[in-house]
Amino acid sequence: MQRDLDKKIWFFTVAIMAVGLVALYSATYDNVRVTQKIFYDQLLCAGLGIGIMYVLGKVDYRRFYDIAYGFYILNVILLLLVLIMGRHALGATRWIQFGGISFQPSELAKLALILALGRYFSNLKPMLSFGFRSKVQSVFYHFLWPLGMTVFMMLLIFKQPDLGTSLLLLGMFVVMVFVSGIDYKIIGAFLGLGVVLSPFAWLILKDYQKDRLLVFLNPNIDPLGAGYTIIQSKIAIGSGQLFGKGWLAGTQNQLNFLPERHTDFIFSVIGEEWGLVGTIFMLILYFALIMTSMQVASQVKDRFGTIVTVGIVSIFSLQVVINIGMVMGMFPIVGLTLPFVSYGRSSFLVFAVMMGFLLNLSKKRTVF
Amino acid sequence: MRLKIIRIIVVLAFVLIALDLVYVQAIKGKYYFELSTNNRIRVVPLEGKRGRIYDRNGTVLAENRVAYNVTITPQAIEDQDELFAFLSESLGVSRDLLTRRYRRKKHTPFAPVVVAEDIEREKAIVIEENRFRFPSLLVEEGYKRVYPNGENSAHILGYVGKVNQALMQRYKKYGYSPLSDVGKSGVEEFYDLNLRGEAGGYQIEVNSRGQQVRLLSIREPTRGGDIMLTIDSRIQAAVMDVMEDTPGAVIVMDSANGEVLGLASFPDFDPNALVDPKRSKEAGGLFSDPLAPLINRAVSARFPPGSVFKIPVAICALDTGKITQKTTFHCPGYHQVGGIRFGCTYPHGDQNLIEAIAHSCNVYFYRLGLLLGADLLHEYADKFGLGRKTHIDLPYERSGRIPNRTQGILSRRRPWYTGDTLNFVIGQGDVLTTPLQLVRMMATVSRDGVEVAPHVIKAIGGVPLTKYDYTRDVKIPKEIFEKTKLGLRATVTDYTGTAHELDNDELFVAGKTGTAQSSPHKEHHAWFVGYAQGREKSVAFCVFLEHGGSSHNAVRLARELMLRLNREGLI
Repeated sequence: MQRDLDKKIWFFTVAIMAVGLVALYSATYDNVRVTQKIFYDQLLCAGLGIGIMYVLGKVDYRRFYDIAYGFYILNVILLLLVLIMGRHALGATRWIQFGGISFQPSELAKLALILALGRYFSNLKPMLSFGFRSKVQSVFYHFLWPLGMTVFMMLLIFKQPDLGTSLLLLGMFVVMVFVSGIDYKIIGAFLGLGVVLSPFAWLILKDYQKDRLLVFLNPNIDPLGAGYTIIQSKIAIGSGQLFGKGWLAGTQNQLNFLPERHTDFIFSVIGEEWGLVGTIFMLILYFALIMTSMQVASQVKDRFGTIVTVGIVSIFSLQVVINIGMVMGMFPIVGLTLPFVSYGRSSFLVFAVMMGFLLNLSKKRTVF
Repeated sequence: MRLKIIRIIVVLAFVLIALDLVYVQAIKGKYYFELSTNNRIRVVPLEGKRGRIYDRNGTVLAENRVAYNVTITPQAIEDQDELFAFLSESLGVSRDLLTRRYRRKKHTPFAPVVVAEDIEREKAIVIEENRFRFPSLLVEEGYKRVYPNGENSAHILGYVGKVNQALMQRYKKYGYSPLSDVGKSGVEEFYDLNLRGEAGGYQIEVNSRGQQVRLLSIREPTRGGDIMLTIDSRIQAAVMDVMEDTPGAVIVMDSANGEVLGLASFPDFDPNALVDPKRSKEAGGLFSDPLAPLINRAVSARFPPGSVFKIPVAICALDTGKITQKTTFHCPGYHQVGGIRFGCTYPHGDQNLIEAIAHSCNVYFYRLGLLLGADLLHEYADKFGLGRKTHIDLPYERSGRIPNRTQGILSRRRPWYTGDTLNFVIGQGDVLTTPLQLVRMMATVSRDGVEVAPHVIKAIGGVPLTKYDYTRDVKIPKEIFEKTKLGLRATVTDYTGTAHELDNDELFVAGKTGTAQSSPHKEHHAWFVGYAQGREKSVAFCVFLEHGGSSHNAVRLARELMLRLNREGLI
């Protein structure tokens, strides 16, 4: 049993934040379109985030259990508010404003769903399968009901539209339900059904989402439109070669060839300016943080703690992998941020809350 | 257990990403690095100044004058409405037109767009004075081709124009840009690579919107080479005076070395009309004129040579020993073959070779044709390069045609008749030559069988051109030429010679007339092709009048021209 998991979490998280800030500084350096204000904004977020982590590390994490359902309902209301009166940006409505501060409820929704599912799964009794009736019942309680909780939130987010986040929630659900101890057969049947139904998903996608998927398959079909981002991002990363072009010296970055480089495509900036050395270093930091979190999950003696930790790890890992895969052209562009590195207050602070939760658990894992 | 599976999945995902990073950054890194360089570096071309063209005495025939062009740099525009309003007012051009021109030509934000070409100096000054108000505006000094002597030498010089879109692909590999001036005909085209300056340019770094971020380097364009022609613009001027503006061609060539001293085609044109956008209507007229003034009739058009063709026939007959100088035939005014009469100008009576040439007696040559046959005629015409290109350094030269029995049979799908030979022998029927071929042949005859290479360039960039300094021996004995030349001289000196009008005490002239039938409803072509001995030079020359009627018309002009050239000491 390791005693210094919390220290490791602190170290890796702050290291990732620091690297992210250095990269963001370059992405916003001496530029009119992406101003340095963004960098200071993020710096403030980092300060706030560290504060949140510190505070959450102190409080009793059972409080999370208590507020889980209420938080879920509050979030559903917020998501509805977004659809009704949200702020419109970049072809989607994702923000709402409270007294001059705008934030994205879809980011908060990740946390709300993790907590709600964590509480739900931790209360479930192990599955007993005697007879057909109880089998149906257990499928309902162990699978369909929590799926409903997830899909309800997914739909609200999908309407914004934010395909990336809603699919992310689905992925997270799969991991959590898997860890909750469900029968493999149900997971298998569910995945099989998903594969069969996926062609129909095409029908409900927006045009730009279809474009992105097509462009993902072949970026050259539209090199100046939808494919532009992928092509420029790959050029940026590849041109960094082994050691990069140097900080503030990435031409793709500094000359504005990289769109969205302060948010979704920040990893391209790292790749271009710091090369393979930088990207692998970044990858190692994320990997270390994820593995540490997994250790927390396996050492926590409490079911709610384990499941919530797994939820956090899954959403964190999925975002890291999907974001990097996306800027490398391995995944379609779905608009997911790179945790603690991409600019975005809501995303940054929500991840800080999650890390705070992990810190809390890593300290209290022996307390029952 | 289930946590372990998740751990394995995470490890796999990270390994996959790491491998892809190694592939993209380490293995394909160089490729992407080059792509990123191409992304940010642009080259803006600067045109080199075109070389000048002089005549043999150093008179400038083509040069560049400074032209003021108004350009707008798109990325520097502040208030587009105000800018175009100002330009429209100061240039006196409608705003609509300016806007349309700007939209059409604009392609990158950093490259200046020319909205008005070659404006007056006064307007240029007004615009320059207002530059502080419009930072995007610039009056740029460009060069415009100008031909100070206008029509003089127009067909030799040619003109310049922009590379058209269709040819751009072909020109691109030689470094032409869509903005380049390229020679469109004449020397401007043939020696374009020598005349055009080497384009320079500046390299700039641009951002993703193509806006200039900084200047990386400049390479100054270099000036093209100057060209000196063998042409004497004073001879050209004399030719212009002598010829009225009826279709035709005049060539005066130095028979010692093939230097073309004068070469003109009519109707002529002013090359300035083709380079000046303000005269575009006039230029359009040149292209649509049914008389085709842009065609250089001296080298790019082919005509039946008529009786001029009798020269190689006479040489052939002597060289093959079928006749001697004294062989006599009787001319009753026609020659009958089968049921058809082949006519002569009038009954000449008994004629020997000299008389037959001087009188241009068809019947005598019909008899020669029957003796020689079409194959020999073809062989000797070929010896003098008739029906073949002379490879003069002008574009679009045509080869003409000398009939040949096999070809004639195949193309007409009927046997070769004696009548075909009779037409052949007097330079009719299918015989087609360019005026230049006949001049070269005449030079060869005058030099007793030494053929020179006609050319119009003396030096490029101050270096004399030696490429055309070769001669070819046609391998026919000297005395045969001497006998033939007796006939050519008699054409002028004999009282009954067809070119007796040319007889004079000032300079030696000899030659052969030709009146060639063309289409049934048009006048004949009038030829005089000859050689003359001036005070300094011996020249071969030709005066050709397309549908000019009797050869006397050509002879009259030839006399006027030769006497003038001699009096002015030009030859």
